[in-house]
Amino acid sequence: MTVANPELIAAPAPAHHEASERGALGWIATVDHKRIGILYLLTALFFFSIGGIEALLIRIQLAQPNLHFLAPETFNQLFTMHGTTMIFLVVMPTLVGYANYIVPLMIGARDMAFPRMNALSYWLFPFGGLLLHFSLLAGGAPSAGWFSYAPLSETPYSSTLGTDYWILALLVLGIGSVGGGINIIATVLTLRAPGLTIRRLPLFVWMTFITAILIVLALPVLNAALVMLLVDRRLDAHFFQATGGGSAILWQHLFWTFGHPEVYIMALPAFGMISEVIPVFSRKPIFGYEFVAGSTVAIAILSFGVWAHHMFAVGMGHRADVAFAIGSMAIAVPTGVKIFNWIATMWGGAIRFTTAMFFATAFLMQFVIGGLSGITFAAAPIDWQVTDTYYLVAHFHYVLFGGTAFAIFAATYYWFPKMSGRLLDERWGRVHFWLTVIGFNLTFFLQHFLGIMGMPRRVFTYPDLPGWGALNLGSTVGAVIMGISVLVFLGNMVRSLRSGKLAGDNPWDAWTLEWATTSPPSPHNFERVPPVRGRRPLWDLSHPTSAKTSDAAAHDERARSEEKVPDKSVVAAWSFIVSETGFFVVLILTYVFFNVSTTASAAALDVKTTGLFTLCLLASSLTLHLAEKSQAAGKGSAFRGYMMATIVLGLVFMGGQAHEYVSLFERGVAVNTSLFTSTFFTLTGFHGLHVTLGLVALGIIAGLAFAGDFRGKPSGALKAVGLYWHFVDVVWVVVFSVVYLRNVL
Amino acid sequence: MTIHTTTELLLEAWDPGFVVPILCVIALGGYGHRYRGRLTERGIWYALAVALFFVALASPIGVLAKGYLFSAHMLQHLLLVLAVPPLVLLGLPRDAQTSSEGVRSAREQVALPWLAGVGAMWIWHARPLCNAAATLPSVQAIQTASLVVMGLAFWRPILAPRAEDRMPPLLATLYLFAACVACTILGIIVTLSPVEVCSAYMHPDDAMGALPLLRDGWGMSCKADQEVGGLLMWVPACLVYASAILAMLGRYYAEERPSLATARGAE
Repeated sequence: MTVANPELIAAPAPAHHEASERGALGWIATVDHKRIGILYLLTALFFFSIGGIEALLIRIQLAQPNLHFLAPETFNQLFTMHGTTMIFLVVMPTLVGYANYIVPLMIGARDMAFPRMNALSYWLFPFGGLLLHFSLLAGGAPSAGWFSYAPLSETPYSSTLGTDYWILALLVLGIGSVGGGINIIATVLTLRAPGLTIRRLPLFVWMTFITAILIVLALPVLNAALVMLLVDRRLDAHFFQATGGGSAILWQHLFWTFGHPEVYIMALPAFGMISEVIPVFSRKPIFGYEFVAGSTVAIAILSFGVWAHHMFAVGMGHRADVAFAIGSMAIAVPTGVKIFNWIATMWGGAIRFTTAMFFATAFLMQFVIGGLSGITFAAAPIDWQVTDTYYLVAHFHYVLFGGTAFAIFAATYYWFPKMSGRLLDERWGRVHFWLTVIGFNLTFFLQHFLGIMGMPRRVFTYPDLPGWGALNLGSTVGAVIMGISVLVFLGNMVRSLRSGKLAGDNPWDAWTLEWATTSPPSPHNFERVPPVRGRRPLWDLSHPTSAKTSDAAAHDERARSEEKVPDKSVVAAWSFIVSETGFFVVLILTYVFFNVSTTASAAALDVKTTGLFTLCLLASSLTLHLAEKSQAAGKGSAFRGYMMATIVLGLVFMGGQAHEYVSLFERGVAVNTSLFTSTFFTLTGFHGLHVTLGLVALGIIAGLAFAGDFRGKPSGALKAVGLYWHFVDVVWVVVFSVVYLRNVL
Repeated sequence: MTIHTTTELLLEAWDPGFVVPILCVIALGGYGHRYRGRLTERGIWYALAVALFFVALASPIGVLAKGYLFSAHMLQHLLLVLAVPPLVLLGLPRDAQTSSEGVRSAREQVALPWLAGVGAMWIWHARPLCNAAATLPSVQAIQTASLVVMGLAFWRPILAPRAEDRMPPLLATLYLFAACVACTILGIIVTLSPVEVCSAYMHPDDAMGALPLLRDGWGMSCKADQEVGGLLMWVPACLVYASAILAMLGRYYAEERPSLATARGAE
């Protein structure tokens, strides 16, 4: 194939052909990352309107003291649904939606690494949303708050099915998010255009990548906690109920182990959006790229070490409070310095105040307010005073709305032309911006004062104390203004889609690769991916003299020697294994936590028999290894034979587990007998589920092998399934040592 | 001897013995002799490492670690694994060779050092070993030596003076992050464990007469003591790893020119 312009590098062939499908089926069956991204965004917009209406109902109820517009129980359901909806059905899917649409374009790829898994991750999202809202038809929505603290979320105190649907919905959403996270990791690591080294990644891609790592690490902790709560609720166990020896505090620890990284899952992509918008509209490269990128990693790591600052009020003791206060203040440093990076980028730049830039600028100011009130919470004594008051409500809305939502608005005005081919109307954009700023600050700035005056959140009404009525009324008026601003935004989008100004390829004169293709991009994204020789490839393209400095050439040379592209299946398998490790670590630690003081209960287990079945499972790892060797050596029949041996050994192990369960049940030992049995059945049961899934995967591989696949060439799928199977075996070795061998020793 | 106040404790509870000062003198003398004529400001790091080694073993930290306070033991433990070894490596001259020549496998270069670093944290907190080290001087000597050696093994791929002995910075980031997670999990277990990790610290043999000060003056009940120990491992240790990760990212972004060293390191 001849390349017409030697400056342009030919992109690889399209990965799929379905994108040409038209009509509804074309959208439902799509595996095109751009369509999936738009589906994410539209579904999130739909849930945003539901969550917004819930917020308005809450604000109407609180407009005046002693109102009875809503019943207390309805109020509880509304704030629970509002929080859950906004976090899991609006902010996360919106950020994932933008990642889906923009990241492959920014790195010059055709699609995500796994287009079909991408579609699955998306469809789990509306499914989870439906499950959550189905609770309304099944006896009432969940009402224990978005973090469902035990024991309030346990059956005695939340007897409707609402919390059960909440658990199921979050599990489904969590699985979808982990799938999406793995996909983003594999995409960024394996599909970058030539020359686009990690050092040159656009900051939105970098921050989305770090967010994906956070998702893969943090969501399994929530999933593990959720299944324990579900076992409590449906099978009468007592993980989180003090009455049966369980620990309600454990739920808080597990929830916030997930919950604090979750804050950064919702903030980092927003930082990435701001880091794209501000430089482009300031006509300057970002100030301190290295710091912005590096400090993101610091934030991600620290975010796992500071969750206990959500629990100062629970009575952990001074020592723990001090440690976590220090950690929490430390995490504010890398975040705070980023603000200076953005300001320094604007400093001296030729700023163009488009609507996107307006939103980005407002983000800076409001995020600083939210950040500062956050630092006040890091001081434990202040936290004791104002936690669970409207001061807290004000704080996190300044972070999540004043911060993340404003960044999303900025990103929408910035990327809408790329996605639709038409610019959003700037005049209506200004109206939208000012209404949002005024409405938002009116609503939430006043709540700082209400909180300091002592008004608790999550209570359906309040007495007529001096000032409370007026401040609340102001807050409600602000909420109504925000509601109107959303209508203006929706109207602007509809109007601009029909008759907006045509955008052209690069309306903002921006620098990253997504602007090198048409608006909207063709199904295969790029005819040709421009060469990447720096962090601003399109700027380099239009300034050829300064682009190819000796430095950049040297960098290219390094890039070629350094950046080996890993196999995407292996990257995905490892990411999945890391995620699953998190899940099992939580279950194992919970087992240890509840059973460390006694080995008496575990004495009922038959160590010898289980030991024999353990040997079978270990042997299956060996046979699978031999199968992989035979496949690599091209010995087809040996490969198939070893695969079958692996499956048989796996089945024997599962038979052993079934036998053990049956004999325990016959002796009257059930999940709810004691904390030991609850932890035992949950841990070994979920391991068994993983073995079963591994057997299904092995079965598919074996079936394909008998149908003539895997001849000669090395296979990513085989490697991935192999890694997973070995992982499941390693987990069992740990479980067997912790649960069974501990009694013998 | 009875110790009543914190000042007295800080002033009087020093127990250098014979071995520790001799080791420190040998370490400093050996360094000065070996790198005679090539001393740079990096020597300060080395001196700091030796000083911290001395503090960890001979100061009240070391004295309290011998059976009095689990938290003092933990501080000593962290100094010996997370402070002394990296400072030693930083203190060596830039051309100091810390490994044999030749390209090593990923297992030798990544897996074994990582296991050494994480093992140093975990193994010595198994109850029998922890108790033995708290009460028997011989076991404590073995513990100290093994912690420093395992710490050096862990930090060498990160901080080796010659670039060709180090792993690529992005891999180092993952290496450190995984170590941080493993260390955090241990910290969480120690902090939240309903049973004591080292039962030897429950009933100290109070030769100094300092126990009333520790228990009542400092408020260090057995439970509080273990909690502080766990929190030390959980939060400050994590900050050490996080700082090292930032340094690695700084190194990654600072690498502008191609060099044979890193090209080889990536293979």
